[in-house]
Amino acid sequence: MKLVAIESSTPASSVALMDGTDVVGSASRIDRRGHSAFLTAALDFCLDQADWSPADLDGVAVGIGPGLYTGLRVGIATAQGLAATLGIPIVPVTSLDALAHRSKTGRRHIWAIVDLRRGEFAVASYRPVPGGVVRDTMPEVVTPQGLRAMLLSDADDVLLVGDVPALGDGFLTGLHRARVGRPRFPSAVAVAGLGGPRIAHDDVPHPDEVRPLYLRDPDVTVSSALLEHKSPWEDA
Amino acid sequence: MSGPTVLAFETSCDETGVAVVRGREVLSNVIGSQVDLHARFGGVVPEVAARAHVESIRSLSHRALGEAGVHPDDLDGVAATQGPGLIGPLLVGFSFGKAMAWARQLPFVGVDHMEGHLTAPVLESDFEPPAVALLASGGHSQLVHVKAWGDYEVLGETIDDAAGEAFDKLARYLGLGFPGGPAIDAASDGGDPTALDLPRPLRDRPLDFSFSGLKTAVITRIESAKQAGTLPPLADVAASIQEAIVDSLLEKAFNAIEATGVEVLGGGGGVFANRRLREKFADEADRRGVALHIPSRKLCTDNGAMIGAAGVRLLQDGQYSSWGSNVDVNMRLG
Ligand SMILES: [Zn+2]
Repeated sequence: MKLVAIESSTPASSVALMDGTDVVGSASRIDRRGHSAFLTAALDFCLDQADWSPADLDGVAVGIGPGLYTGLRVGIATAQGLAATLGIPIVPVTSLDALAHRSKTGRRHIWAIVDLRRGEFAVASYRPVPGGVVRDTMPEVVTPQGLRAMLLSDADDVLLVGDVPALGDGFLTGLHRARVGRPRFPSAVAVAGLGGPRIAHDDVPHPDEVRPLYLRDPDVTVSSALLEHKSPWEDA
Repeated sequence: MSGPTVLAFETSCDETGVAVVRGREVLSNVIGSQVDLHARFGGVVPEVAARAHVESIRSLSHRALGEAGVHPDDLDGVAATQGPGLIGPLLVGFSFGKAMAWARQLPFVGVDHMEGHLTAPVLESDFEPPAVALLASGGHSQLVHVKAWGDYEVLGETIDDAAGEAFDKLARYLGLGFPGGPAIDAASDGGDPTALDLPRPLRDRPLDFSFSGLKTAVITRIESAKQAGTLPPLADVAASIQEAIVDSLLEKAFNAIEATGVEVLGGGGGVFANRRLREKFADEADRRGVALHIPSRKLCTDNGAMIGAAGVRLLQDGQYSSWGSNVDVNMRLG
């Protein structure tokens, strides 16, 4: 089975081509703004390297966040455009799952962390099981202080994966049972690793269900002057 | 002559437009409008718009192809708005369209939204340059000299608010809701357009627009009338505001016709859905013997077909965008 994976929910965008479990092409770039310029060009480059044509593809796996809204929408729009045109299945993979899946865990309890900006982070915890990891908690939005409290109350040794540097300089101080692991950003290879088996087992949603996982409502500021404004005729 | 078949996407603001255009013929033109989503905020919220685009673009593209009876194999190219517009919304249509093109190894063309508006008349008439085009909407007010296809000179534009923005702000003040253009159009029914003597600004800059002074003038008038207990009927106020905006657009458009010496006037943008504006432009063009090409309302407001029309032209000229192309929120004609 030939699979293409796209991940662009963090500053690191990447694409990967998989033939079964083999990575036959991949490209990545760290750039917060250039997702749309990068993704299709990278797909074209990788397919060229693999000597495939788009029509050879059997499925698309795409990172749906949580993460940076603009980037993850570009990734999803690109993946949707591909899947719709080629008539092939599309499966969603969360950025937190992709992070945890690629970590070398040992026995530690894993906490996957993605920077959402404005002082907030998406986190979820995972525990190692034979052959992989299982998610313990639903993804949630926390501040660094909130995350510290959660980590301090975790009775296990913990492995932090994801954008730990974005949590700030002193974040790890006093967290004696915590260790920081790799990767820092989710990758298309990890997205393929999780999405591939689901496509192989025909465990795919309707494409309209492949949507961004924002975890936050849109930031809408409506001036109260506007909302409270009455028509001049109302009380005349 | 039928011309190439293009699938086109327009997502620069709050309408998800997808269309199939063959040459100068619209085969389908579907629109997922977000007006209701944004109405409660009194204006377009970029993040809300971007979210709605990404949720609807797949099914709308499916519908556009279905209604056109066109299979992706029958396409000669894909077009998408590249700018100007809101970054989040633009990226959705541009990325989706580019991926579709790449998947079929078809040419992809990024289209200037304003070139889309000024090309739209070709879908319903024999509109050809040289011409002057007036483009007026909530986001833009521009006068463009269309010397030839692809050869544009911006003659004038607004120095403050866009015409549609003036409608929005005044409708909000009058308590008429969002979007303002249709609301004021409806409220003006039976009103006296001469009831309020409102300014027609920038007489010294014949090709530029200004609408912020109008807003101030209306508010000052109404507030003092209210104090004096002589508030005029809402219909009269709406009709007077509409008349002032329409007159300003009309005067500048025909100034541009005189300045360039061309005899063809095109128009586009949401403001051209206004009934009074369409009526007055038709009368004035008639009086002056100018050929007027204003598309039907559906092609004046943002839509995919206009991007398809411009896309056909770019495709025929071989002006393809690369797979590494990106949106340009500040894209400018000329
Ligand atoms: Zn427009």
